[in-house]
Amino acid sequence: MMFQDDGSSSVTSSPFQNSPMISLSPGLGSPYPLLKELKSEDRGLYLIHLLLTCATHVATGSLENANLSLDQISHLASPDGDTMQRIASYFAEALADRILKAWPGLYKALHSTKLSLFSEDILVRKIFFEVFPFLKVAFIVTNQAIIEAMEGEKMVHIIDLNAAYPMQWHALLQDLSARPEGPPHLRITGVHPQKEVLDQMAHVLTEEAEKLDIPFQFNPVVSKLDNLDIEQLRVKTGEALAISSILQLHSLLCPVDEPHKRSPLTTMKSNGVNLLRASQIKQSTLGDLLQKDMVNGQSPGADSASSSPQSSAPAVQIDGFLNALWGLSPKVMVVAEQDSNHNGSSLMERLSESLYFYAALFDCLESTLPRSSMERLKLEKFLFGEEVKNIIACEGSSRKERHEKLEKWIQRLDFAGFGSVPLSYYGMLQARRLVQGYSCDGYRIKEENGCVVICWQDRALYSVSAWRCRRMAEVDV
Amino acid sequence: MAAPSSSNPLFFGTRSQEDQNQARQQEQQQQQHFSSMPASSTTPTAAAATQKKKRNLPGTPNPDAEVIALSPKTLMATNRFICEVCNKGFQREQNLQLHRRGHNLPWKLKQKSTKEVKRKVYLCPEPTCVHHEHSRALGDLTGIKKHYSRKHGEKKYKCEKCSKKYAVQSDWKAHSKTCGTREYRCDCGTLFSRRDSFITHRAFCDALAQETARHPPGLSSIGSHLFGNNHMTMNLSQVSTQISSNSMLRLGTAGATATAKLEQLIPSSNNPNSPLFAAQQPPQSISSSPFYMPQDNSNQGYQELQNKPFHHGLMQLPDLHTNANLSFYSSSNTTNSMNDSDQNASNNMSSSSYLMPEHPFNNASGGQGSNIFSGGGNNPGLSSLYSNHHEGQASPHMSATALLQKAAQMGSTTSNTSATILKGLGSGNSSMNGANKFARSFSVNSEHIESSQLQGLMNSLSHSNPSSSMFGGVRLEQQQQQQQQHQLGVTNYGNMDEGSNMNRNFSMGGSDRLTLDFLGVGGGMVRNVGGGFSHRDQQQQGAGLASFEHQKMNSSQGGHNVFGGSKLQ
Repeated sequence: MMFQDDGSSSVTSSPFQNSPMISLSPGLGSPYPLLKELKSEDRGLYLIHLLLTCATHVATGSLENANLSLDQISHLASPDGDTMQRIASYFAEALADRILKAWPGLYKALHSTKLSLFSEDILVRKIFFEVFPFLKVAFIVTNQAIIEAMEGEKMVHIIDLNAAYPMQWHALLQDLSARPEGPPHLRITGVHPQKEVLDQMAHVLTEEAEKLDIPFQFNPVVSKLDNLDIEQLRVKTGEALAISSILQLHSLLCPVDEPHKRSPLTTMKSNGVNLLRASQIKQSTLGDLLQKDMVNGQSPGADSASSSPQSSAPAVQIDGFLNALWGLSPKVMVVAEQDSNHNGSSLMERLSESLYFYAALFDCLESTLPRSSMERLKLEKFLFGEEVKNIIACEGSSRKERHEKLEKWIQRLDFAGFGSVPLSYYGMLQARRLVQGYSCDGYRIKEENGCVVICWQDRALYSVSAWRCRRMAEVDV
Repeated sequence: MAAPSSSNPLFFGTRSQEDQNQARQQEQQQQQHFSSMPASSTTPTAAAATQKKKRNLPGTPNPDAEVIALSPKTLMATNRFICEVCNKGFQREQNLQLHRRGHNLPWKLKQKSTKEVKRKVYLCPEPTCVHHEHSRALGDLTGIKKHYSRKHGEKKYKCEKCSKKYAVQSDWKAHSKTCGTREYRCDCGTLFSRRDSFITHRAFCDALAQETARHPPGLSSIGSHLFGNNHMTMNLSQVSTQISSNSMLRLGTAGATATAKLEQLIPSSNNPNSPLFAAQQPPQSISSSPFYMPQDNSNQGYQELQNKPFHHGLMQLPDLHTNANLSFYSSSNTTNSMNDSDQNASNNMSSSSYLMPEHPFNNASGGQGSNIFSGGGNNPGLSSLYSNHHEGQASPHMSATALLQKAAQMGSTTSNTSATILKGLGSGNSSMNGANKFARSFSVNSEHIESSQLQGLMNSLSHSNPSSSMFGGVRLEQQQQQQQQHQLGVTNYGNMDEGSNMNRNFSMGGSDRLTLDFLGVGGGMVRNVGGGFSHRDQQQQGAGLASFEHQKMNSSQGGHNVFGGSKLQ
């Protein structure tokens, strides 16, 4: 038994002095045959333990110990190993990233040559679409809700807040062309930071619309969501408006002026300036205020660690944004979000919640793709790994992956003046059928308050909900 | 005489029939210039108002039209002109007047006025409706009635055949005439007479998955470029193993999924110029569900990938520079692309089988899948479910979720923090429900304790210092905590041998140490976390405490609940 006796004096307050850790100090340089022989399950458990230990150290700023833990993890984890090894790799990386941010110079230097290939990013999102049923369900449900809301409408305008997936609208075009009353004049406004993506979408959709003989117009808006100018959406009176937000809104959940105390590196400025203007569009009535008060009164007080409408605390970017959207009075707005709370204020909270969430996603992959699959690796590294890194390592406005649970979204949207539109039977049916047809047993569709929740086994992963502008009548009378 | 609304630049006149008691219309009323108008004696309460203004908006037709706002009640009334004698209702006032004549009541027919007839436009009473705007008022009364019923009214008329509902009877009649007469044909060949079932069917029709949707030819090279550019180097062997394991051959066109065949096919398809492939066009389908199109694209990706090793660079990707290279819409009729069977192979692959490689997990999932997440604990069957054949690893593999739950469970039995965190936060579906979930899981755990070999260990753990169990440290002072940690550590040492029973999972000789580590470290952490959540003042104390410094007070209380320290003692 090798104990770190020498360390006990310096880290007296650490609980680890008493723990008979297997000595893994790098100085020994041994390959730790013991650990290598661990069975997958035991190794997994040990990795979980190490991750949590490490996170505790990181949270307390005990870097020496964090370093030790990370070192231990590095001997056990592997990005191409079993599920837990993979998860541990990315969480360890995220924790290390967080530590590193304490030295902005180091951090920047290490990341200075990092290429951000957005084609890579798009490829990864494409794989995500293909491998998982999540987006497909979201699209099917969204389109169904739009079709239903737009029944009989002659002028339809759709705003896509994440215009990266032409197939969604491709499908809608076909549905619209099959409408008994004939297709409407359709305008789609796509919002995306990359012009090329929008060009591509315009191309695909225009061509399809031409083929189907649907009067169609595509309005590209090259912008990030957080500095989107609502005027650019060019919503006209007289057109029936639908808004689709697929996994977007959570990125606006950061407080507008969060003090950047926690992370020394969060120097990015909050850029919600444009939203302020947008928020003025909405003229709130007395009834609105009353309604809001009622919401306040009824809302459960628990679990307010993360930003939530009822916490009187800092204004959140999204409030202005939702107000602006409300001001456009969409007939329907469909919101898909990750259904997990990764917006806790403490690192440990976020770590454990996200550990569960991403474990489920990694499990999905394990049952879907072989371990050596490049696609799987890419998904894990460039999509999930990056999300984890953002959740764990970032603070303030640079933390974008602020996923929250459906109930929070319901509260928030309700607060912003939206009324829930229960998804129709057919919408649900289609979602169910799609998942059933997936021939992968683990996925489930759950109905929750008229919303769709897509689960892996029992774990809720993504939610889709539909909304409309709450009518004033409901407020006044 | 209210001033015109500043927000509404339009001039309008409003004649409101009935008492407009709706709050939403008060605004209008205030803006109205009331003038009396000869009210029909039978009209319940006719308040008429007219006001003429000039429209400012360019392009709006009939700027001088009189804008009329009717209340929903008036609008929906079918026979709103009632004869006071016989209670017969009429849709039009003129008709009522004619009827009154029969009763020998005073009657009055409006004369066609000699002056120009003013056009009237009607507002929809629904405030959120676009036709509530004066600029968007509708031109005729019937129109607004139908509009209001359709858009804001109850759909009372139901088609018996397809359950489609209509608010306006005439719509329903029109529909009834055609319902069932039109045929919808899915690409799989199924015919539907009703659109609703057709749509439902299409959403999941298997055949669509293999349907090769039409791709814009101009984009054909895009996908390949994308893949080519991204160093997507998937091993053929991997892909083909995967394919070969698929049962998707039931779709079976050309049976190309079998590895061997694939290998045969691909080298032969090596030459893009081969006439065999040159003419290949994917089946065109207009109405295939576009949701599946991307899979076609992916197919191409896979095709490319599959072919890659064989092509050895021979396969020239089409000229990339002329095309936008971002498309998800790669065409499957890529010039140098595969033959049909190849296509089918990959279609099959992506339609479902690719997502479902033959894998112990999946095989087991029918019967035992539900157990995956149930156990955690000492379920020996669990790990065997996951043996991974992909890598030829002999070691059993457990799903990460199951591991987490197991860790959480172990944590609650061994006072391992990490686990408690996991349990409190993670295992609950909602952190709001954390407390309940936690309580439940704890009760499960206590059974687990009893049933397992751990009992002795646990007893010694908790008996040595009662408050050391789980979250005991929550209320302790710093020193106590430290002391407690110490005790815990000691306890762990002491029970090392006893504890080894629990670790049948840990097969090697060194497992005791590992266990010990779990317990020791974990034990320490429990209190830290618990303390961190409930007592911010103690945060400086030890590892794990400062992490909560940013937590709000109420959240730390929440945390306290979630962690349920008090309940557990």
